Amino acid sequence: MTNSTPSASTLSAEDISVWFGERQVLSNVNLVFPANQVTALIGPSGCGKSTFLRTLNRMHELIPGAGLAGSVLLDGVDIYAPEVSPVDVRINIGMVFQKPNPFPTMSIRENILSGLKLSGRKTANADELVETSLRRASIWNEVKDRLNDQALSLSGGQQQRLCIARSLAMDPKVLLMDEPCSALDPGSTRRIEETIEELSESMTVVIVTHNMQQAQRVSHQTAFFLADENTPGGVVEFGSTEQVFNTPVDPRTNDYVNGHFG
Amino acid sequence: MSQTLSRPKVQPWSQSSVASVRPLILASVLPAVFAALVGLLANLDFSVALLVIFVPLQALAAGFVGFKTYGKRGLKDAVLIFVTIFFSMMVMVLLTSVLVSVAVAGFSAMSPQFLSQNNVYVSPTTSLEYGGVGHAILGTLLIVILTTIAAVPLGIAMAVFLTQSNAKHKGIVRTVTQALSGLPSVVSGLFILAIMGFVGIERSGLTGALALFPLMLPTVARVAEESLRLVPSDLRLAALALGAPNYKAFFQVILPAAKSGIITALLLGLARIIGETAPLILTINANNSTNLNPFAEGIATLPTYIYGFLSSGYSTSQARAWGAALVLLLLVALLFGAARIMTRQKSLKTKSTKKAK
Amino acid sequence: MESELANPKANQARRKLNVGPRSRGDRVFFGITSLAANFAFVLVALILVFLMVSAWPALQSQGLAFIYGSTWVADEGAEPIMQLGPMIWGSIQIAFIGILLGTPMAVATAYLIVFMLPSRAAKVATTVVDLMAALPSVVIGLWGLIVFTPVAAHWAQILNQTLGWFPVFAIEGEQPTYVDSPFIAGWIVAVMIVPIITSVTREIFSQMDSGLINGALALGAGRWAVLSRVILPTSRGGILGGVLLGLGRAIGETVAILYVLQLSFDINWYQILEPRGGAVASFILARFGEATPLEFQGLMAAGLVIFVVTLIVNTIASLIVNRSTRRVK
Repeated sequence: MTNSTPSASTLSAEDISVWFGERQVLSNVNLVFPANQVTALIGPSGCGKSTFLRTLNRMHELIPGAGLAGSVLLDGVDIYAPEVSPVDVRINIGMVFQKPNPFPTMSIRENILSGLKLSGRKTANADELVETSLRRASIWNEVKDRLNDQALSLSGGQQQRLCIARSLAMDPKVLLMDEPCSALDPGSTRRIEETIEELSESMTVVIVTHNMQQAQRVSHQTAFFLADENTPGGVVEFGSTEQVFNTPVDPRTNDYVNGHFG
Repeated sequence: MSQTLSRPKVQPWSQSSVASVRPLILASVLPAVFAALVGLLANLDFSVALLVIFVPLQALAAGFVGFKTYGKRGLKDAVLIFVTIFFSMMVMVLLTSVLVSVAVAGFSAMSPQFLSQNNVYVSPTTSLEYGGVGHAILGTLLIVILTTIAAVPLGIAMAVFLTQSNAKHKGIVRTVTQALSGLPSVVSGLFILAIMGFVGIERSGLTGALALFPLMLPTVARVAEESLRLVPSDLRLAALALGAPNYKAFFQVILPAAKSGIITALLLGLARIIGETAPLILTINANNSTNLNPFAEGIATLPTYIYGFLSSGYSTSQARAWGAALVLLLLVALLFGAARIMTRQKSLKTKSTKKAK
Repeated sequence: MESELANPKANQARRKLNVGPRSRGDRVFFGITSLAANFAFVLVALILVFLMVSAWPALQSQGLAFIYGSTWVADEGAEPIMQLGPMIWGSIQIAFIGILLGTPMAVATAYLIVFMLPSRAAKVATTVVDLMAALPSVVIGLWGLIVFTPVAAHWAQILNQTLGWFPVFAIEGEQPTYVDSPFIAGWIVAVMIVPIITSVTREIFSQMDSGLINGALALGAGRWAVLSRVILPTSRGGILGGVLLGLGRAIGETVAILYVLQLSFDINWYQILEPRGGAVASFILARFGEATPLEFQGLMAAGLVIFVVTLIVNTIASLIVNRSTRRVK
């Protein structure tokens, strides 16, 4: 956590189990997300993949009654260690949500700079940061002449890329994406997928998706989550995307990726 | 346009035809005519004719038409519609009567001098050309502003607790706050009086403002809570995911998004207390002259002004009471109108957010 | 790269999650807001304690007769007799009349707004009802005294002359005036509580599952069938909550009643057209100006009575309304 140079990091989840109240929803998940790789988390609804994603940057603990076992290591440091502040964790591990959620009372420019302001940090060159962030999210050309417009004046796809840019302005080492395209049209989806590919050059990406084609298009490795009725969810199969989709080991994975259920 | 008019409507699925429209017209005219005739011939009182002859007849007629058109089902539906309209009309009549009486009687007392002068040297029989409610308007504003200074921040803080924190006893706080919003105003006044007795403070504008405080607080808290609840929880999560502490997420993201709702809470809180009378009678001394010092002597307010003049019974004092009532109602309407505009802006904004999804 | 399948290990130790506020700013933020929230309890407790202490000497000297007795003599110099019975009964009586008159008006208005008016007209009607809720009590009192009382007295006369054989509408004594009666006060209370019952009922009606209603309509049910079989069974509890909120308001109503009712310690059990009645809140205000210190303690005790009663009624009402709005949702 002390290393502040912007570079990708390896994130690993060790033996993660999750409870809501007394109900266990995830059991013993072990996954490694190597630097500069895109990992897709797939699985039917309710299998705990979004919940798992939230444990990776401590958004999980905001839910009343949430419980956790195991540890999440960012470059070997346990992000749940008592001396680690959740604010530092969330600065280093950014998150993009399912629905675009730009701050409605702020302009495009203010949205980009909001992360710095909210986490109490300063930058020497705000204009430059705005431009780089928007460029990295491939939306600069569309908004460069209207940086002071309200964020809500953008289209849905543009709003989502703005939210990505907002996370990028924090210079995170890892970016978590929770079904970032599920509310968008195919054109916007394709552009965001291109953005993800470019981002993987400078950071580690974990993306939850329901879309098999999307998982195959953007990810290097894939984890398949599954929860049987009334039992906690877990990882059934984890490997390179090519292997999981073409030569799955577990028959349930085979059924799912070929659309037989879910 | 003309084409649609000239072409007869043929809708086989609808049963409306000339044959079924005729009883409808008859049913809506006959009872009134009959009631008027009987009323005139028997020299009945207007209200008796209305209630005893017209209303039952109209209900019967409506039921008959319903029965003719839809059978037994139509009978019940027609009577239901009739009863609904009858009782709602009663509400409308009562409300209109209040508003029109205040407007008409109040307007005849109105003049620039009535709005600006105070009440020194005015007795209950002094003609309306002298004196006015200027001092009471200022006094009312002064006192409600004092109450607002205390109640609004506290009410908003309560609303923040009810929406932002994870505390377990939120439910009971909400219930107690709601129960407090039904606090009888006279009890609020007695409460402050009891405190004054123990601490030994004299009656002044400040004690009046204190007596309004328990009445304003729950209103502000409730409306502010509703408006904070309307802010999508996604925004809060987004702010926290960017590394914001809760208080920054609130002040920089949630509060700006709920701004108009918070202002609505302020306005409705003001509307709630601006006409309160009993607590002020208990805790403030009357005053005929203008006093803007809330720490000493009596202060006139619009509600206590109305109360005072109404109690004396002369027609000129009643006219003054109506005039003050009109001013008070206009203030309430102003607050309400402003609150409406605020909520409309808010709903426009949420609409555009929805569209963006 | 193949991972092991999920094989739950028994009793994996849960970690302690850091759910509380971490930064100093957050501790201050949550500290202040939770202080503010707890102030609701403090306020209720303060009101209770201060009224109780101020009322204690009177309650002690009068005993239980304070509640049911019907004499109030509190002149200077003599030992006061303070018994609130007729005022308490009067409050109940007027609230009952008000609810009897107000509930049909309120429920009908809510039904009209939600299920009959086009949405634009419904919005206007909703605003009008909300505005009615903001009418100051003193203005209603003014209207009640000067405009409404003559009209209501006329109706009272008709009622008395036609239905006078029925004890409720009978009037003893010669040359009745038909004014200052619980009947008129009940109407005034109805005007005050219609908006609150309407807005609670409207809220609950508008949260009804429209699929349920459309389903019933699709089965060929008429308005009446939908109302009696679908709408009322689900919203009954909420309407009751609204009526209870109205009851709380009715018991606390002070100024408006004071103008249109003759307060009397000659208890009036049921003859609602006679010019004698009671209302605890109005009585406090009426006596306050000329009360001796001892009588003042009695008035504090009267305040304590309506505070406790309204607190109980309103708490029950809030619980009912909250539960039924949640259920309808």
